[in-house]
Amino acid sequence: MANDGILAQIRSTDPVSGLRAVGALHRLADLVEATHVQLAREQGWSWEQIGDALGVSRQSVHAKYGK
Amino acid sequence: MFERFAVGARQAVTASADEARRRGDRRIGTDHLLLGLLHDPASAEALGITVDAARAQSAALDRAALAAIGIDLEGYSPSPKIKVGIRTPFTSGSRSVIERTLRLTTAEKARRIAPKHLLLALLERQRPDPAAMLLTELGVDRAEVARRLSQ
Repeated sequence: MANDGILAQIRSTDPVSGLRAVGALHRLADLVEATHVQLAREQGWSWEQIGDALGVSRQSVHAKYGK
Repeated sequence: MFERFAVGARQAVTASADEARRRGDRRIGTDHLLLGLLHDPASAEALGITVDAARAQSAALDRAALAAIGIDLEGYSPSPKIKVGIRTPFTSGSRSVIERTLRLTTAEKARRIAPKHLLLALLERQRPDPAAMLLTELGVDRAEVARRLSQ
């Protein structure tokens, strides 16, 4: 199955690579989040709607990205 | 702690904080210390590499790591938008490097910590330390650089 393949790949990797990949994914997630929070605001989304989309509170999004 | 740092070494640490923020990291790692040191011309010359080359290699290591877990991000280069202003803490590896730098300076009976002491401490790092991995990928001959610095 495709899932077995992916899991095997993740497990077979040296943790030097695997953990570095986690770091890179975090940085990528930060970048995508920052980009799309800005886009959402430009399109008129409320902080509450953005928070809901991200699965976090309105307050935390506003604290992070609000001016 | 940084009172004993000469200007060049202090600038290297400040530059390493910038490098960490530039990459979107929340702590200053030993790889950021290395990048910060590369802003110092004498250190860059001793290592035989530029800060641009080191940054590019760091991004390449990220891409390779992502590929190793099955994610293909061709053209990926970190360029995050991180809020500046909060003091960035060191990783435990970076704290060890700074402690080692102080010890090397004392052993040499030097009054102030210079970039070369920081560099010698970084050259001692071993895998899986991030600076060690970066130095290996950049093809730096550690023994040769250490020898040149000790002259």
